This record gives sequence, C-alpha cells and structure tokens, in this order.
Amino acid sequence: MKLLQLAVAVLLVAVLGGSPLSAGARTWQIDPAHTNFYFTVDHIYSKVRGHFNTYSGAINFDPQRLGESSFSFKIATDSIDTNLAKRDKHLQSADFFDAGSFPEMTFASTKVVDAGQGRYDVHGTFTVKGVAYDLVLPLTFAGVKEHPAMKGKEVAGFNGTLVLDRLAYKIGDGKLYKLGVVGKDVEVLVTIEALADK
Amino acid sequence: MKRTLLQIFFLGIGALVVAGGCALPFLYPTQTLWYKTGWEKAVLQTGHLFGVFAFLALVLQLLFGSRGALLERAFGVSLVMRLHRANGQILPLLVLCHMALVLLPEGLANLPLGLTFWPEMVGGAALLAIVVQVVAAQVRQRFSLDYRRWRSGHRWLGYTVLLLAAVHVLFVADSFASGLPRLALLLLVGMMALRLVYRMVSSRR
Repeated sequence: MKLLQLAVAVLLVAVLGGSPLSAGARTWQIDPAHTNFYFTVDHIYSKVRGHFNTYSGAINFDPQRLGESSFSFKIATDSIDTNLAKRDKHLQSADFFDAGSFPEMTFASTKVVDAGQGRYDVHGTFTVKGVAYDLVLPLTFAGVKEHPAMKGKEVAGFNGTLVLDRLAYKIGDGKLYKLGVVGKDVEVLVTIEALADK
Repeated sequence: MKRTLLQIFFLGIGALVVAGGCALPFLYPTQTLWYKTGWEKAVLQTGHLFGVFAFLALVLQLLFGSRGALLERAFGVSLVMRLHRANGQILPLLVLCHMALVLLPEGLANLPLGLTFWPEMVGGAALLAIVVQVVAAQVRQRFSLDYRRWRSGHRWLGYTVLLLAAVHVLFVADSFASGLPRLALLLLVGMMALRLVYRMVSSRR
C-alpha cells in the first residue's frame, strides 16, 4: 500500500513538476548581441549617444503569470561607450559614475504590472553609486515567436524608453549642467531580445 | 660684440618660444578643460603648461647636446654642456609634474591605460626613455664607460624621445589637431630632424 502511495506521489511530481502550470514564469536568457542599454544626453545643442558594453541579467516573464515574473539587470559602469575614449574615461571618473568605487549599477524588479496595450510597468529598485532608488521601467512586450535563425528556440522581445534626471541619481554634481554643456535629462532605451527553449 | 649679439639672438628666440608655449594652453585649450571647473581646471591647465615646458626642455636638451657651432660660439662649450646636464635632470621632473597634474583631476583610480589610450602610453614610453637617459648618463660617469659608444646610444635615444613626445602631443591633445599649435610643433620637430640629418651628413664627410 505504501509502495502504491509512493508511486502515485512520484507520478504527480513528474507530471505537475514538468508542466507550465507549476513552473512559475518562463525563464528567458538574454541575447547579449541583441540587447542593450542605450542613452542619449544633450551636449550644448547636439545629442551624445552611448551604451554599455558589459551587462548581465535574468528574466522570468509570462504575461499570464505576472506575479511570478521578474527582471533583473547588472550593468558594468566602466563599460560605458560613447565612441570617444577620453569622454568614456571622464564618464567613469568620480565626476560621473565613479566606476572605481561603484563598478555596477543594478535594477531588480519587485513587481510587474500590466499597463495595457502590450506595455508592462516593471517596478523595481535601481541602485546606482551605492544608493537604491525606486524606479518604474516601462517595457513594451513585442511578443514571443519561434526564432527565425535558431532551431528549437523561441525569442521574446521587450523595448522601453524612459527619461532619467541624472542629477537625481548623483551622476554629476550639476556644474556642467549649469554651464550649459551637458544636459541633465538622459533618454534611456532598453531593448531586449531573450531566448528560451521551445 | 659678435658673441653678445649671438647671445641676444639665442636668448630672444628662446624667450619668444617660451612665451608662445606658455600662452598655448590658454589660447588653444583642449576640450578636456571644458568639463573641469574650479581647482580641477586650474590643476589640469597647469598640467598642460608643464607639458609644454617639458617639450621645450626636450628640444633645448637636444640643441645643447648637439653642440651647434653658433650655440657654442655664443655661450662656450663648458656652459652649453653644463646646461645640457642640468636640463637633463630637470626634464624628467617636468614630465612627472605634467603627468601627475594631468592625471590627478580624473582620479588616480581612473588612469588611461591600455591600447585605447595609446597616445598616453607613448607619452609614458617617452618618460621611461628619459629616465633611462638620465640614469645611463649617471652610470657612465660613475663607471667610466666607453664615451663614444655611450654617446651614440644617448644621441639616438634622445631623438627617439623627441619623436615619441611629438607623437604623444599630436594625438593626445586636440589643441594640436590643426592650426597654429600643430604647425608650430611640426616646425620645431622638422627643424630638429633637419639638424640631425645635417649632422649625419657632415659627420660622414
């Protein structure tokens, strides 16, 4: 009798454990070649664009299971790239990111909310220069489909833009903003392709 | 009378070049200065000024070392060689001051190292070569090394330092990307190159 109970229990674990209903939100692997964190900031009259070359992240997402969905990212501050080595070095200095003391900025979601029309507001904690701030990252879910170039894989896409006041996050002390050289509002584009087995 | 005139000529040219060099970081500031304010700006600008002084001291060092006939006639061999030795000891200090003052405002934990910053690396190589020159000169005097052999190496390394320094300046500072500063630098280096070629040709005769 005990053997039968054990067999039933094993069967239940095998069936339910492997089903999507019990697995929580689906885990997606970030495709680093097609994911990035871009930014644009004013410089007197022009716009300076840049991105970060080194980052990592973890995505668990299922539109049907937002309670179990999560996003987290780690961005290496010394990987900032604006196509000008000297400027990048200055951005890594204590004047801006202070990459020596704060090598990473992170975002860890606390909840994902359906904002309608394919947009999901990812609420979380954004930690920059050692200080944690609440931040809402609005991501538009582009969808999920079979990867056109990778057999057996599915690809999910997310895009989101937001404007961050860099001075609110102590990225700069405001002198260059007051001088009219570097703007304070930074347009951020988060664009993600993530992969999962079919 | 002729000697006095020559002295006035050389001192006048020297004063003009030094005055021009001193004005350079202020008349043609680099873009890095745009992003510095207060004491950091002052330190960086002073660093640039030391860079100009170091470069001029290097040119002067080669002029003293090459012992031009006119220069010797104006000041005498003994004084020229004494100036060469003294300037040779001041030169690395000027370069070190330049390096420290330029790097300090960006933070010593944020040094421009690696291939991306090759113009800075070339500057570092020039400093290393200058230190080698100074140490080798001291060692030669102390250990009475063969003068002719040492002088040949000393001369060629000296001109190599000038080449390294010129490449460093031309590519590290946007002030030298065009216009008068670039022209002045190329003129100075060109004149030194001509001087070297002239010496090589005349020594073969």
